[in-house]
Amino acid sequence: MKKFMAVLAMVAVVAFAAPALAATNPFMDVPQGHWAYDAVGLLASRGIVSGYPDGAFKGAQPATRYEVASVVARALVDIDASKASKQDLELLKKLVMEFKDELDALGVKVDKIDKRVAVIENRLGGWKINGNMWFDAKFASDADNSVNTYNSNNAKNEFTMAYARIMFTKYIDDNTYFFWRFRADGQGDLSNWWSDRFFVNTKLPYDINFRFGRQYSDWEGDAGLYHSVMGDNEGGLWKDFKYDGFNFQKSWGKVDAELLIGRNDNFNDKSSIGGAVAADNNYGMTYGLKLQGNFTEKFYAGLMGIYFDPDNVDGEYKLQQYGAYASFAFTPAVALRGYYYWQDLGKDWNAFDDSPKAWSAMLDIKQDLLKFTSLYVQYVAQDNAFVGPRAAGVYPAVYGSAQNAPGITNDGTNKTWLITAEQRWNDKWSSFLQYMTTDWDVTGHDDTKQYMVGIGYQYTPAIKFWLAYNAIDFGEATNNKYNGKESVVLFRTVVNF
Amino acid sequence: MKDIWLKRWVTLSLILLTLTVFVSAIEASPFDNILKRWRKTNVYNDMDGNLTISLTYYSSEYIEAFIQSEAEKNLWTKDETETFKYNYLQSLQLNEMIPINVEFENNGPTIYPGPFDKMIEMKVGNKSYHPADYDKRLNFKFQGKKEGLVYFRRFDEKTGKDLLDGKDRVTVELSSGLSSLLNGRSPRFFWDIKNDDPARLYTGATGARLETDRLLKRLEKLRKDKAEEEARLAAINNEIATIQARLDELAKGQ
Repeated sequence: MKKFMAVLAMVAVVAFAAPALAATNPFMDVPQGHWAYDAVGLLASRGIVSGYPDGAFKGAQPATRYEVASVVARALVDIDASKASKQDLELLKKLVMEFKDELDALGVKVDKIDKRVAVIENRLGGWKINGNMWFDAKFASDADNSVNTYNSNNAKNEFTMAYARIMFTKYIDDNTYFFWRFRADGQGDLSNWWSDRFFVNTKLPYDINFRFGRQYSDWEGDAGLYHSVMGDNEGGLWKDFKYDGFNFQKSWGKVDAELLIGRNDNFNDKSSIGGAVAADNNYGMTYGLKLQGNFTEKFYAGLMGIYFDPDNVDGEYKLQQYGAYASFAFTPAVALRGYYYWQDLGKDWNAFDDSPKAWSAMLDIKQDLLKFTSLYVQYVAQDNAFVGPRAAGVYPAVYGSAQNAPGITNDGTNKTWLITAEQRWNDKWSSFLQYMTTDWDVTGHDDTKQYMVGIGYQYTPAIKFWLAYNAIDFGEATNNKYNGKESVVLFRTVVNF
Repeated sequence: MKDIWLKRWVTLSLILLTLTVFVSAIEASPFDNILKRWRKTNVYNDMDGNLTISLTYYSSEYIEAFIQSEAEKNLWTKDETETFKYNYLQSLQLNEMIPINVEFENNGPTIYPGPFDKMIEMKVGNKSYHPADYDKRLNFKFQGKKEGLVYFRRFDEKTGKDLLDGKDRVTVELSSGLSSLLNGRSPRFFWDIKNDDPARLYTGATGARLETDRLLKRLEKLRKDKAEEEARLAAINNEIATIQARLDELAKGQ
């Protein structure tokens, strides 16, 4: 009878005190091999928590979630922070998270415990450390012209660290954080580790977001004007770049503004100014301003301008780039976007045209609509005199097909069609197809065609595998290196922590 | 030259228009577009993985569509639907709060989101607000999926005025420091709420039940206030009586 009353009381507690959205059944058994048993025991054995009844879980019967939660609640009454390591605190947090609903129902204030753990964590320094790496294994076919261009030094196969990064974040106060990222890539000893991000972000009065240090700008990506696959963030003609300097952002409800003032950018990393400037570090001032109006949920449009003024070279190498863009969403899953860019080049660029233009239109259909696949169709037209990347060179994640692209001294307009379809089958499996073709519009540069298919397997949230096949046809170009057909199989392992 | 560009524009526009019409014609569930309109999703890709963030604003249109879609899915009777609606509205605390559901799918570097109330803010007009309450599970570091409700106060604490009165947009912004995948960008989501009328949810049987709850709560509070005031009055009366008695004593002594 007593037992029955206890169960009844427990039911009442669950019915009236448990959060309405609680999904876990508190009477469900916690299997005997469950990590929680060991976790509580381990913390108790180290003297970090007390009030843990020795032998509470010993016996033939597995405990219910409520029973385990009550032991956790008792154990959490007195945490001895001086004895706790970072791993111990993580274990405590994990326990609290696992039994949050039951602890709530038992009247244990999870937020109080959480606050205490947060305070203890702050005493440990409050540094957040992350890292990741991409490891690529590439196996190329025999090229038509016997020159493999997928890999370094014309090697047929390649195993390489595409990226290895380590990142540190520290919240200095509620509104201010510091971020530092180290990076290395390539083969061999990876001796060249460098800081590619190094900045402080804070809030100024009038709700202005202010960032200073080595940072990154990708206005085209921010506006959704390109789309890449396999986690590759390359894409677009506006060009993403790093710079050392200051960034201000302010929103007035329907209008967002961003201002950047910097130096040492790598905007022009592919074709350094007349060979006079280090490709990855253009010594000059960079000024940029972007205004975007979010007029309705369906429609936004923006204007942006950027001005590069190199000050360590003689001659007129100034570059002004302007853009206008707009996006209209027919439904939450279908959007049509477009942009128009134009440049004003200093005379010493020796471009065919000192005011080249580019424009693009794209249709973005989410998988929500077609159910089995997303679909992204984009057309890009870019004057060959336009300084900056070629669409054909920045979209594919495995290999850019702009190696035989004409330089800025050429007339004509290169035209690229890009079609990408991605399928997410479930939380683990995904696949994609991509096709791209570029007409260079210059004699001696044949059309380039490229397609890629791939599958991805998200083994855990931290580990992903990709297997992709990429084939490229440079056509009958006059350039001996980049002509004929080639293909490659890529196996990529991505690890994040 | 101009003619060629114009011709290309026209050709491209026609192709894209045809595609758009084709895909728009594909029939979606009647509630799909409503649910998606209020559940906004941003995806952030970088070399190091991808992060999907979805935020849901509980407009009356969303809630009605959600309840109807659940009722259809589960073949509920009218009474069962009303019970679900009652429980759902209670858990959202719409009469006092502006709830926002936050979902993450992080296939990238570990996110350390705590304390989460410092990582998220709501902007209405030119003012910013931090959460009044939130699911504490959002404080824990994670990779993979994570979801929780965040509540912002609906009424100004000082004036008692509805924050959304006369406003046409609600914006919710997350900190750019949440993940390295954000590359310094602050995820921002906004909803145009000009035509949203939460009052229309409080009609019918559910409305009556919720009003009863509210009135009972208020009655309880008034009774408590009354008891407190009565106790204070009794204390004052006692003090008056004591003083009067002492004055009488003093008067007698003279």
